[in-house]
Order: sequence, then C-alpha cells, then structure tokens
Amino acid sequence: MRGVRLLRAQRRVERDRLLDVPRYALTSDPRVGVEIVSAALACCTLELQAALGSGALVESSEEGASPSVIVIAGTVTDALVPSVVQLIRAHPGVKVMSFGACATSGGPYWDSPPVSKGIDQFVEVATYVAGCPPRPDAFIQAIQDLACSEDA
Amino acid sequence: MKHSFIALIEDKCTSCMLCVRECPAWCIHLDSHTVEVSEEGARRPKKVNVLDSFDIDYSLCMYCGVCIDVCPFDALAWDEHRALATTNREEMFLGIKDLRPSGSS
Amino acid sequence: MNRVFTWQQVEPDQWRNKISELIDSGFVYFDFLTGVDRENIDSDADCEVVAHLAKSDLSDSRIIFTQVKSELASIADLAPASSWHERECAEMYGITFTGGDTSPLLRHEGLGRPPLRKSAVLAARVLTPWPGGAEPEIREDGRKVGNVSRRRQRPPGVPENWITP
Repeated sequence: MRGVRLLRAQRRVERDRLLDVPRYALTSDPRVGVEIVSAALACCTLELQAALGSGALVESSEEGASPSVIVIAGTVTDALVPSVVQLIRAHPGVKVMSFGACATSGGPYWDSPPVSKGIDQFVEVATYVAGCPPRPDAFIQAIQDLACSEDA
Repeated sequence: MKHSFIALIEDKCTSCMLCVRECPAWCIHLDSHTVEVSEEGARRPKKVNVLDSFDIDYSLCMYCGVCIDVCPFDALAWDEHRALATTNREEMFLGIKDLRPSGSS
Repeated sequence: MNRVFTWQQVEPDQWRNKISELIDSGFVYFDFLTGVDRENIDSDADCEVVAHLAKSDLSDSRIIFTQVKSELASIADLAPASSWHERECAEMYGITFTGGDTSPLLRHEGLGRPPLRKSAVLAARVLTPWPGGAEPEIREDGRKVGNVSRRRQRPPGVPENWITP
C-alpha cells in the first residue's frame, strides 16, 4: 500500500510541474537519498549546483526509493506551500533541510506579501542552514551531519 | 577574504545604532544604556553609551554587508567562520560572544 | 572606449516624437524602459518613466525621461523590445501605455496597489517592531531615567499615520 501511495503522490507532484525534484544520494553513503526542491529564484540553486559539481552527491538510480533528506531551497511563496507540504508528506519520516535565509524565514523578502516566512510554519525542519545563499561547503557539511544523525 | 560571516568587534562599538537602522532585513538588535563619566579636568561629565547586547538574526541576514560599510567605527567586519547550520531557528540568533571574530580569544 | 551618457527630459506629449527622432539618428539599441515613483513632486504627475537608448556600439547613450500621472503613449511600434518593458512598468507602477500591449505579465487583475509605488505599504513593516526604533536610555545607578533622544524614528517604507493595530 505504501508503494502505491508513494506513486500516486509522486504523480500528483509531477503534474504540478512547479517543483524540480531530482533524486540524488550521498556519495559517502549512497543509502542516504536526497531530493532537492529549488523554489523560485536561482541564488540558492546555484550554490547547490556547485555543491553537486564537487561530487558530494551522485545521481541515485534507485527508482521509487524514499529519500532520507528533502532540501527546501529558495523563496517559497504561499502559493507553492501546498506542493512542498504534499511532497514532504509523501515521504513520512524524511528529514527536511531548510537551505538559505528564504526557506528559513523569508530572508530578504520577509516583508513581501506572497512570501512564506519560513517553511517551518508548515513542516518540521531538521536542519536550518544560514546564508544568502549558503556556501556549497556549508551544504556539504550540513548534509553530512544530517546523514550522521540518521545513524545515531 | 571570505564573506561567510559578519563579526562584531565589541570594543569598537559605540551603540550608535547606524547598522541597526540601515540593515534591510531588520536582523540586527542592539540594546544599550548611557552612563555619565567624569573626566579629570573636564568641566562636566560626558555621556558614554554602554553596549548591553548586540544580536544578529542569521535566519534573516542576507550578507549584504551594508552594516559593515556604514559602521563609522569599523566595529563590524567580514569573517571566515564556517557558515551556520542549526537544529532550530533560535540558535541562529547570535549574541556578542558568538559574534567575536575568528582567531580572537 | 569612452561612453557618453546624456539625460534629457521631455514632455509626455513629446515622448513618441523624441524616441522616434533618436532611433532615426542612430540610437537603435533599446536597453530598457522603467518607472520611478517621485512622490515629492507637488503635482499630479508624480511618476517618472525613463528609457535608455544607445547607439549600437554603445558609445553614445540617451536616457530620456518624462513625468506622467498614469498614462503615456506606447513606443512598442517604434522599438518592439519595449513592449515587455512597458507591460512590466504598467503592472509595477500602474501606468497605462496607450496603443501598446496591455496584457499582464505576472500580476492578477485587482491585486491592489502597484507594488513599486511608494503608496503600496508593506503591512509586515508596519506590524513588525523595528529594531532601529530603540534609543539608548539614561540610567542612574541602574534606574532608567529617560531616553537620550526623543526623536520618534520610523522604519523606511512606513508612512506616518498608516493603520496601526
């Protein structure tokens, strides 16, 4: 049943076409699957891409496997919140990383009406990474720490 | 020079509040009080600001550096601390102790 | 390369003529068109529309501006690239470019004041306590005596007498 629920949720998210959700895994521990949600803007995405370019993550070939970590990066707007929450709820037990100031608090756009003032208002966040945008090595360190805490 | 952190050099801060007012993200919080200090030979005591607390909310900070540029006393500076990753947002509210420049005691 | 920039103000009814003239004399590179909310002018026409045209080698630039209330003739037929800029200026500043493409770019109809006008106040800035409003207090032997300055400070973007809770 869980597999079917996952597939249905996945299809719904794909239909939204608002989220770019590639599937990665930690190079140092391929059991740790990582999904990255790049919301709007590109600043955090660029740093994440730089981190990916460093080889810290590899593309995962495990189809249908549930990620251990979902990274929310970029400016989440209230319009995008349902899709983000749906994605997170589709993977119960997943750890959420709030990457950058926008995802953590709304960042520089804290006063803008459509911007959500932090995704932790809607979902439980395991790790917050400060930065605008955070450096690639900040991401690598944070995700490795999160992976270690998985085993604990 | 790496721009991964903004540090406070406590001795140089005069609580002028310029950084607080100029910060676009409203992420700097400063509390201070004024004391009168008598100086030898001076006709009357002078008023001096004493810094009680200085906090930067790194969940909002956008690392624009306006606070560093605007400080007339160079009390704020770029620093090379590793960027912050915390388990809750409160831990990102850093005070004077955590804002010390790296390499200082 | 030496780049020359010249600023020129024109009357709104001369906007199309001036731009047409510039394009004909070699300023064929249309760079941008945008608005500036000049709220301090004591006239109805408090929004400035500014356009930048340059020669194709960028050696010579003209920045033309005009003050309007809410309408200006479109130049999209003279410089097709300006159509997008006019649509953006229209929805950010509330200016109608008559004769041009008026379809929205990003905003829905009836969403409220155009966001880049100073009159569009962000409620979050009114409601959130501004850290810059605090002033050092005088203390004698630990007792608070008073504020050093009685200036009431408002954060940028919050007008006086806006609705407060």
